[in-house]
Amino acid sequence: MTDQHSGTLEPYEVFRQEKEGGPMIHGGNVLAPDPELAVHYARELFARRSESTRLWVVRRADVHVLDDPDLLDPPLDRSFKKPGGYVMRDKLAAARGRAGTAKPGARAASHDTTGRRTGKTG
Amino acid sequence: MTDPLALDPVLPVRERSERPWNLDLPHDERFAHFEAHVTAGGKIEATDWMPDEYRTAVLRFVEMHGNSELMGVLPEREWIMRAPTLRRKLALTAKVQDEAGHALLLYRVAEDLGKSREAIIEDLLAGKTKFHNVFHYPTHSWGDIGIIAWLVDAAAIVAQQALRDSSYAPYARTMQKICWEESVHIMHGRDVVVTLVNGTAGQRDMVQEALNRWWGPLMQMHGPRSDRAKDRDLHWRIKAKTSEELRQEFLAIYVPRIRELGLVIPDPELRYDEAAGEWRYTEPDWDELRTVVTNHGPRSEARLEFRRLNRDETRWVRETILAGSPAVAA
Amino acid sequence: MTASTALAELLLTMADDEFVAGFMDSEWTGIAPILEEDVAMSSISQDELGHAKALYELLAEVLDDGRDADAIAYDREPEAYRHARLLDRPRGDWADTIARRFLYELADEARLASIGGGYAPLADLVAKLRREERYHRMHVLAWIERLATGGPEARGRLVAALAGAGEAAATVFTPLDGEADLLRAGILTRAFDEAEAAWRTDLTRVLVPLGLDLPPRIEHGPDGRAGHSDAFRWLWGEFTSVRRSEVGATW
Repeated sequence: MTDQHSGTLEPYEVFRQEKEGGPMIHGGNVLAPDPELAVHYARELFARRSESTRLWVVRRADVHVLDDPDLLDPPLDRSFKKPGGYVMRDKLAAARGRAGTAKPGARAASHDTTGRRTGKTG
Repeated sequence: MTDPLALDPVLPVRERSERPWNLDLPHDERFAHFEAHVTAGGKIEATDWMPDEYRTAVLRFVEMHGNSELMGVLPEREWIMRAPTLRRKLALTAKVQDEAGHALLLYRVAEDLGKSREAIIEDLLAGKTKFHNVFHYPTHSWGDIGIIAWLVDAAAIVAQQALRDSSYAPYARTMQKICWEESVHIMHGRDVVVTLVNGTAGQRDMVQEALNRWWGPLMQMHGPRSDRAKDRDLHWRIKAKTSEELRQEFLAIYVPRIRELGLVIPDPELRYDEAAGEWRYTEPDWDELRTVVTNHGPRSEARLEFRRLNRDETRWVRETILAGSPAVAA
Repeated sequence: MTASTALAELLLTMADDEFVAGFMDSEWTGIAPILEEDVAMSSISQDELGHAKALYELLAEVLDDGRDADAIAYDREPEAYRHARLLDRPRGDWADTIARRFLYELADEARLASIGGGYAPLADLVAKLRREERYHRMHVLAWIERLATGGPEARGRLVAALAGAGEAAATVFTPLDGEADLLRAGILTRAFDEAEAAWRTDLTRVLVPLGLDLPPRIEHGPDGRAGHSDAFRWLWGEFTSVRRSEVGATW
């Protein structure tokens, strides 16, 4: 038995996964005297209706928060980092016009989302 | 890892997004920013700055809600032992468990606002804080269990659904979880009531008699009509609807469902006024409500005393796990 | 005795054990020492009741006498219940509950581990029960350790609770009349005295490092699952009261 009996009630944040492979979502928190009981209580509060396939239980004091908008959403242009920053529909049309080629069918859709929406299987 | 805050001096000072009340401003300016945000439907997180008035109002609201869940355990738990089938016993145990769980979730919200669970429970047991009127009454029969789970929970859920959009985001999120869990309680209660009305004459009498006793407290439960303009909880959007709006909503959904079963609602004045678009009813006994919620109800003192005794008897367990025993090498 | 009579006896004793354990534990609902334990203990009692329900349903099929699980669970006189004397005690304080649950959970596991494939519906059910019982053992072991090492008062209460269970501790292994038939049919893979030995090994692993005494060895007698206490008669009066108020009604 290696758990620490810290002797004070501490908040633990609980993250839950609703189905295998899904993201871990913040579910809420529990107060517990040690990690072992924190895990037990997290099970009771966030999984007793079989609504979770996995829980992560983290001491709140161990969560490092970053919510500074200067760091997370800097003011200058970052569109080169996002697919939406590359709109080339008109340029493609011009290129096709120069080359005398036709627009490929949906099957030729690739990983880029250039200029149009691709299907889920694209 | 670099502490991101250490980078602060090298970054240009820029207005911090849309949460200016968190900036180091004079109190009145902060207050104005905060109020504008909240009254426009914005959300507040536990880590945000908030005016004391707001913090106190949310805390009082959440605390009373948590207290009501905690005390709401007692009338029903007496019937866990007496539940007449295995399935009913399982459902009732799960329902009472949810109420304890909801008290816990709500106390967590209150604790993060600055009041410890210990202090919350001490105040409750000392009679300094309140719990909902319906949990001050006795239960007499299995019919009560159906009526409480169906109608008391329905009246509560009408109020709770309106709280899912509370300006205090941790409370709003908790209410989403609670509403999801409570919907099962209403199904359980309605199923108990429907089974009883389909049963023997004795069972029908049992449920009608329970309805007769609970109707008054149910009509009082949301509280007297209030002036929307003067209600600070509405102003801060801690809650979204007035007492009367909640009562009307409850009546609109549940009067037809109760009458559908052939049960008689014990209010000769109860009717829907087409012209006014609202339900008319005999004025609830507000004196009774005041008497009851100030802990002078028929079971107020007994239930508080039961909790005090239980708290004394189990104190050693809390002290044991909090005392911090040395880790055992094994 | 035929294997099916013996099977019915096995199912009834297992179901009654879980039923009474579930009732005792559900008494904590709403009044446990901390709210988190309210919720935890309630889950455990729901599991136990659920196990009792599944076992009574299986028994109803085996008996095929027109009674359903509820009729078997509720509509008997107190003397007809076959739960072990370990479970035939008032709820007591938190230490009594933890001690009783510790002794019972480990005994139940030793019993479940003795069920073979001789009656497939039971073997299938037991596989499910054992998955749920794992959490019960995790929970009770966490508490045994905390009480044993949590200072003089907690340890004193735990020691008294374990001693109080004393001679009743091993009564879960009270021999069944039809044990030989169950072994022949492969419904049991080992006799109850072997299961009891396995239980003692498990207890030793937990209790000895904590410096706690093992429960005494006893000569099993006919009162291991009979001659119930006033605490059980009170419980029976409570849990049958609504049902008896309208006999034969649907609830």
